[in-house]
Amino acid sequence: MSEFEKLRVVTWYEFLKHLRSKRLYAILGVVIVAELAVLIGLPTLGDGYPDDLMVLAAMLSVGPSLATLGAVFFAGDAIAGEFERKTGYILFTNPVKRTTLVIGKYLACGAAVVLLTLLGYVIVCISLLGVYGHIPIETAQSFGLSLLLAGSVLSVTFFFSSVSKGTMVATVMTLVFLMVISGVLNGVLRMAGQPGWFLLSEAGDSTITVYGGYEALWEGDMPHGMSDRMLEAPDINLSIVAMVIYLVVCFFLSIWITKRRQLA
Amino acid sequence: MGDRMREPIVIENLSKYYNRFLALDDLSMRLGENENVGLLGPNGAGKSTVLKILCGLLRPSSGAAYIDGINVVERPEQALSRIGTIVETPEFYTFLTPEETLSYLGRLRGMQGDGLRRRITEAIRLVRLEDWATVKVEKFSRGMRQRLALAQALLHDPPILILDEPALGLDPRGVVEFREIIERVGKEKTVFFASHQLGEVTQLCKKVAIIDHGQLLAYDDIAQLEKKYHSLERAYLELTGGAL
Repeated sequence: MSEFEKLRVVTWYEFLKHLRSKRLYAILGVVIVAELAVLIGLPTLGDGYPDDLMVLAAMLSVGPSLATLGAVFFAGDAIAGEFERKTGYILFTNPVKRTTLVIGKYLACGAAVVLLTLLGYVIVCISLLGVYGHIPIETAQSFGLSLLLAGSVLSVTFFFSSVSKGTMVATVMTLVFLMVISGVLNGVLRMAGQPGWFLLSEAGDSTITVYGGYEALWEGDMPHGMSDRMLEAPDINLSIVAMVIYLVVCFFLSIWITKRRQLA
Repeated sequence: MGDRMREPIVIENLSKYYNRFLALDDLSMRLGENENVGLLGPNGAGKSTVLKILCGLLRPSSGAAYIDGINVVERPEQALSRIGTIVETPEFYTFLTPEETLSYLGRLRGMQGDGLRRRITEAIRLVRLEDWATVKVEKFSRGMRQRLALAQALLHDPPILILDEPALGLDPRGVVEFREIIERVGKEKTVFFASHQLGEVTQLCKKVAIIDHGQLLAYDDIAQLEKKYHSLERAYLELTGGAL
């Protein structure tokens, strides 16, 4: 039996795990609630939908962004769970390369996140069509960037999952890295007028700023005292480079570490 | 490769450190074809470490382990294809049923189609889980999980079984049934299993290895040990420094 066949088997059963988990439906619920909050909240609490469809498109991107973050919850237990719950005693004693197991788990997590992200963008498209009558091409760009972001978030989570003893630790470490360390550092660099393209939090913003710069999206209503650097939208090309680097480096690191990890 | 390396299990000068703790100290032993060998020793003696190295879960600090002449560290996939294992009390994916679990593991071992379905049915019947075959494992007791562990170990009809405390968690009936299964299938397989139950070992094996502090203290036929020490129990206690 070829390693590719084994990869197919691992991917399918790992995907089945996600399909049968409450996590998938919880994240799906969060995505739908986020989109509904924008779609219902704007006309109910404000002056209706913005004149510029790019602004609403950007606002609706919060749903798919949350789906992307859902990758953390899918992937947190992918590797650490095998060691923490001792299911590795059953899985790792089979004649399958650990590389195959990690890739299969990654593909399954990726499929679940793609499914959620796709659903988020379907809601975005239907909403834009309903309100403005057409969908901007930038939505496709945002979708592509979201998939790339999801892939890089998955890789980062796989890395933390491969070095952690427990699922919870892996999940928390990833969230702290993405939202606290990366986020705070990004803010500091922006305040200092320094480039922050290499941070995943800034690169991730490109899924929204693809619709226009921050100033355009906030319709010129920017807080006072903000420097040009603070208003500067991330460069799309540099964001892609940053996300690809996170995706590749963290993914290969997670394979390398998992191959060497022992199950005592 | 020498003929001796072709024996089902060969352990050569195996040592294993956990940080600075020496868990295995230059351990060597060989198991011949269709031999059933019990691995005895007090808690922390190194029994599980030996079996986990053979299963590719741990790497030795020095020495080597071979399954059917295949170095477990260098070619783990080839070595693992020859064995069925139960390590400690394994956990299963709670979102799967026993049928699905065995299907997953069987397919990873290259089994498919009618052959796989037939083997799943046989394995489930063998461990008496027929009524639970389509129930998710999350509802299973420890004993039922242990039965499923035995089913997955036997699913692909491996020539070698490596079992670590395989009867742990089973009720008295389960223990008896387990012994009967191992006794039956063990006639045509090499079985290496760790246990604390001397009676169980006596019933299933002709040979035992007694280890303590990672060192092999005795490796002989039970009959020989009984002759020398009057009983296996006395042999175990004397060798491991326990009180009589």
